[in-house]
Amino acid sequence: MDTFIQLTIDALTLGSVYALIALGYTLVYGVLKLLNFAHGDVFMVGSFIGFGVFNALGGGSTPKVPVWLLLTLVTLAAMVGCAGLGVVIERFAYRPLRDAPRIAPLISALGVSFFLANSMQLLFGAQPRNYNVFNLDNGALYLKGFDIGQVRVPLLRIITITSAFVLMLVLWFLVNRTRTGKAMRATSFDREAAAMMGIDIDRVIVFTFVLGSALAGAAGVMFALRVPTTVSIGFVSGLKGFTAAVIGGIGSVPGAMAGGLILGFAESYTEGYVSTKWSDLVVFCLLIAFMIFRPQGLLGRADIRKV
Amino acid sequence: MKKAIALALAVLATSIVAASAQGSSKVANASTAVSCKGTFDLPFLTPLTGGAGFLGTEQASWAKYAVKTLPSQYGLKVKLLLGDTPAEAGPAPALALAQKYIADPRVVAVLGPSTSGDAGATAKPFFAAGIAEVSPSATHTDLTYGTPGDPLTGTPAFFRDVARDDQQGSTDAAFMIGKLHVKKVVSMDFQEPYSVGLSKEVDDALQKHGVTVIHFSAPNTTTDYSAYVTKVPSDTDIVFFPTQKPGDAQTMAQQLIEQGKKAKVFGGDGSNDPSQFKVPGSYLSNFAAPISLFPYNKSIIAGWQKDNPGKQVGSFGPPTFGAVQIILQGIKATCADDHGVIKARHDVIRHIKKVKIKNFILGGNFAFSTKTNDPLNRGFYIFQIQSNGTYKLVQSPGA
Repeated sequence: MDTFIQLTIDALTLGSVYALIALGYTLVYGVLKLLNFAHGDVFMVGSFIGFGVFNALGGGSTPKVPVWLLLTLVTLAAMVGCAGLGVVIERFAYRPLRDAPRIAPLISALGVSFFLANSMQLLFGAQPRNYNVFNLDNGALYLKGFDIGQVRVPLLRIITITSAFVLMLVLWFLVNRTRTGKAMRATSFDREAAAMMGIDIDRVIVFTFVLGSALAGAAGVMFALRVPTTVSIGFVSGLKGFTAAVIGGIGSVPGAMAGGLILGFAESYTEGYVSTKWSDLVVFCLLIAFMIFRPQGLLGRADIRKV
Repeated sequence: MKKAIALALAVLATSIVAASAQGSSKVANASTAVSCKGTFDLPFLTPLTGGAGFLGTEQASWAKYAVKTLPSQYGLKVKLLLGDTPAEAGPAPALALAQKYIADPRVVAVLGPSTSGDAGATAKPFFAAGIAEVSPSATHTDLTYGTPGDPLTGTPAFFRDVARDDQQGSTDAAFMIGKLHVKKVVSMDFQEPYSVGLSKEVDDALQKHGVTVIHFSAPNTTTDYSAYVTKVPSDTDIVFFPTQKPGDAQTMAQQLIEQGKKAKVFGGDGSNDPSQFKVPGSYLSNFAAPISLFPYNKSIIAGWQKDNPGKQVGSFGPPTFGAVQIILQGIKATCADDHGVIKARHDVIRHIKKVKIKNFILGGNFAFSTKTNDPLNRGFYIFQIQSNGTYKLVQSPGA
């Protein structure tokens, strides 16, 4: 039973990060019908921005501000930095190709992905960066928390899972309860009609990239708080985020959240009950199974074509 | 028609390139004479980037310092060539660099490779070319010492100035049994030669003494060990974690505490980095003690620190300095024997085997064993991480 509880906590932690990454994919696809393969590398850049700000504020050993403020500022900095990066990527790599055949922005996205990964490697090297939050407040993030049976749920996990869910709620509110969100949904439904109704499409698209990239930045920090980050984390994490978006239904915001959690559970339980060597195999087999049997994903809409 | 001509030209160009590459490697083979008055190229294969980049970067700084200060003592001129071999990329970069250096006629010996995987992969090509290798950190046992279950993968041209994994494994296991009184140990490997070899040595030694050993195998690209930590029984005493990435040792130790497990991490020499692996109570073993323990190293330490301001002397760098010294002494002896000309590269191998150095940087006098190409009388040191993150020596070789 303890193993099951521990694996469930691992699943929620991992799934929350995947959900945040998946949301970026799904938002951009919903509005632009573009698979933004650079999104995983935006996530990676977020983890590095967070690392820089974390150390600028004193790091794990001698923080200059209280722990809660330190983590908040680090996350906000990563979100703002990645949002800015998202705007730049959209402006220079995707906007000129908006009316080109769909393969063109896809290739451009791949190019941006390689550009980001290699630029970061040139600038910062391939050394892993460890936030070392272990030393914060005498190990409070690891030693404090609550127990479920014999299993401790440490503060760090609580913060990660809660923050991810809060961000998802904020996103849901933005998309469903604000004018800008309405404009995003209209654009995703029919871009031309939305333009004819007076919606500034360019602004909507930029806002979408801001939102998606900011979430990726937050996910980068949450990931790197627990494990060392390197320039190579973007590729695999991005791939898993994309898988989560597809499983949930690419273009569907609740679908991306569900897909991320499903992926987290699949990976965690496979590692715990089958073998750690099988987890990636299971995850990508899930992707293939969904593509064959339910290509629209769990909560996505099947395309209706008029004949 | 135009396409056919273009295809034919492409095939012709490829053939010419392949033939010239073939030709150039024939030029610089084992029997090409090299004048000792010119500048020797000394390649160093080490991971300058990637998870093990901390090791290569430190070793490279000591290699540069050695090449700056030592050649004049031997009347030689040497140019250091750094070749990056990231651990995550496997042996492919090392093999590609090996071919490049074999084709260089001014290369008569190689420093490194630093990692056991690269050393195993490049041993035969370098031996075929008659080039000696002296590694400052490749500790896999079968590079110099084969056993019936684990045949020799090294060659007579491969040397090292640090002790072997079986010596490390037996030292680590003896410490766990004798000093820590372990009953249950989880041991891990990362599906690469260093950790697979070392964890096997430790597992065998522990099991012989009745210790329960549970073994996990993780891909070398793993960064999150939560799933493995979940499977560590709560009564485990030690998690033996021979990673080459100190950040991962830190992550494992943190995640053990996060999940309320009492087990402490015991790392190998690959996790030796106080700036990255610093969870108090953890252990690690290393093939070198602090060189500041030996007074005759004072000027070397001062000189290196002047070239590397703000840096601390680690434990991977000094064996590199020692390895350069061994190579230079071997080249010098070959030049003297061959009257100012190295008639054949493989002559250097013979002279390196006979090298003897007084007041060696790692302590004591240096010579190679007569039975293997390992240093005589070297061993492993064990450290425990203190509450302030420093490493305290808790056992010396022979203790």
